[in-house]
Amino acid sequence: MRTFFILLTKELRSFFLSPVAWVVLAMFMAICGLSFSWSINILREKPQDQSIVQWTFVPVWFWLYYPFLFPLITMRLFAEEQKLGTLESLLTAPVRTWQVMLAKYFSAVIFYVVLWLPVLAYFGILTWILRGKVEIPQGALMGSYLILFITGLFHLALGSLASALTKNQIIAAILGFAFILLHFLIGVFVMQQAQDHQEFRPIMDYVAIKGHIESFASGLLDTRPMVYYTSGTLFILMLTHQVLEYRRWKS
Amino acid sequence: MIEVQHLTKRFVGRTAVDDVSFEVGKGEVVGFLGPNGAGKSTTMRMLTGYLPATMGTARVAGHDVFSDSIRARREIGYMPESVPLYDEMRVVEYLNFRAALKGLRGRAVKENVGRVMDLTGLKDVQRKIVASLSKGYRQRLGLADALVHRPRLLILDEPTNGLDPNQIRQVRSLIAQLSTEHTILISTHILTEVEMVCRRVIIIHRGKIRADDTPENLARSSRSAGMLTVEMKASAEEGSEALQGLAGIRRATAVPSAANGGWQQFEVKLDTGADPREEIAELTRGRGWPLRELRANQATLEDVFVEITQRD
Ligand SMILES: Nc1ncnc2c1ncn2[C@@H]1O[C@H](COP(=O)(O)OP(=O)(O)OP(=O)(O)O)[C@@H](O)[C@H]1O
Ligand SMILES: [Mg+2]
Repeated sequence: MRTFFILLTKELRSFFLSPVAWVVLAMFMAICGLSFSWSINILREKPQDQSIVQWTFVPVWFWLYYPFLFPLITMRLFAEEQKLGTLESLLTAPVRTWQVMLAKYFSAVIFYVVLWLPVLAYFGILTWILRGKVEIPQGALMGSYLILFITGLFHLALGSLASALTKNQIIAAILGFAFILLHFLIGVFVMQQAQDHQEFRPIMDYVAIKGHIESFASGLLDTRPMVYYTSGTLFILMLTHQVLEYRRWKS
Repeated sequence: MIEVQHLTKRFVGRTAVDDVSFEVGKGEVVGFLGPNGAGKSTTMRMLTGYLPATMGTARVAGHDVFSDSIRARREIGYMPESVPLYDEMRVVEYLNFRAALKGLRGRAVKENVGRVMDLTGLKDVQRKIVASLSKGYRQRLGLADALVHRPRLLILDEPTNGLDPNQIRQVRSLIAQLSTEHTILISTHILTEVEMVCRRVIIIHRGKIRADDTPENLARSSRSAGMLTVEMKASAEEGSEALQGLAGIRRATAVPSAANGGWQQFEVKLDTGADPREEIAELTRGRGWPLRELRANQATLEDVFVEITQRD
């Protein structure tokens, strides 16, 4: 455990020392700010069926930045160490491969959470400004954050896997994006099928990420996606561990 | 300290280490030599638990490096060939991190990091970013990292690679100093270095061990050992005939050379253990041949190295 925290501290430090992290943070804040003020404007024009939370997380342009976020966060994790050869000094110290892997993964998770904090603040400020006048649906807000956190865990695991597969960061990013896109498209495909074929509905409730975010943003919490993403994350992390071990076997 | 048995590593399509067995006792300083691609780094990587072996076993301080890897790794200070470091960290941060990772805590981290920085001359650059260090200083940092947890065994893969002569000298004297408390396995291409710091040499070629002895014994076994060079004023035929007539001389050949005021050089191959220099001096006095050189050739480790690694 101690080793894990030593590694985690080091990873977090490297994260915040890397320029990519700051660029991602800045761009993300800008996009979220825009998206947020855009939703406010829409709601100001005329009353809508959907809440501000849904307007922030559901529209198409959420999908224009959300899938790109993860490869940018994770591409560095293992690829850089494999390129620089530092994996050799790391794994010849008395540490276990899974400690290294989890430390890296959780540093990415922490960075991801930090990324969302400003948006949490936007809603907080809005709630404060509008106190008593307009209700911000707190349930929907909690739901949105929960689903973003859980899908985030899953996507960060996919990104880590991609980064473990190559020593080239660019390839790691592209591969990670491909994994995420593939998973997303499977979900869309299942959702479309489910419209015509009832038998697809149960699967859809599990795998259709777009549907998950929409339903959680409307305040409907469902345990099935949570089970799906948590077990998926564990599976992908185990796979990542195997890949790291296997690469040593091979090379 | 190290016990290696039938260690073999196959990569796709080539065997890098082929059935290697050797032992290194506590306190020994062993030079691990071989031409490029011989399998030195691969062997070291297996010993440090980075690469799994295809076959065979290896133990460090009694711990199997494959099944009890963590405990074995605690005993080892390893400096990889490419000296991989985290470029974005400061020197002292890097060492603190490595020390903590290797199990040191609290005050012990500070003390040991201070100690190895003194030892390797890093004190002056401790606040520098690793990326800004010169090659020599990176090398020192790699060495400091290997030393920081006071391991009983040091495995150093070409620690003086790419250093200038002054720095090579410094590292060499550092290693000599370290050899009093550590067991050391060191690979290098600088053979004079090995002769100076190692009391034992293992030569590996194409994945197999070809020699394992003290540097002196190896040099003695060289083909160029047991040779004399004689230069005197005598004709080629007469001279070599007379020399060959002496006891202890197997063969004497005149070295072809341009007319040189009557001086002629001879290469003399001796019987093992013979030293007929006195007889040769007497011979020249008796025949009235002026003698201006009589030299026993010093075979070097380099001679043996070249012979062994170019044999096939
Ligand atoms: N990851 C790898 N994949 C495939 N072959 C490899 C790998 N690493 C090493 N080899 C091969 O194994 C052989 C031994 O390599 P090794 O690095 O152990 O040599 P070395 O003795 O350290 O040489 P040098 O003096 O150049 O450092 C070489 O032929 C090399 O090409
Ligand atoms: Mg090597």
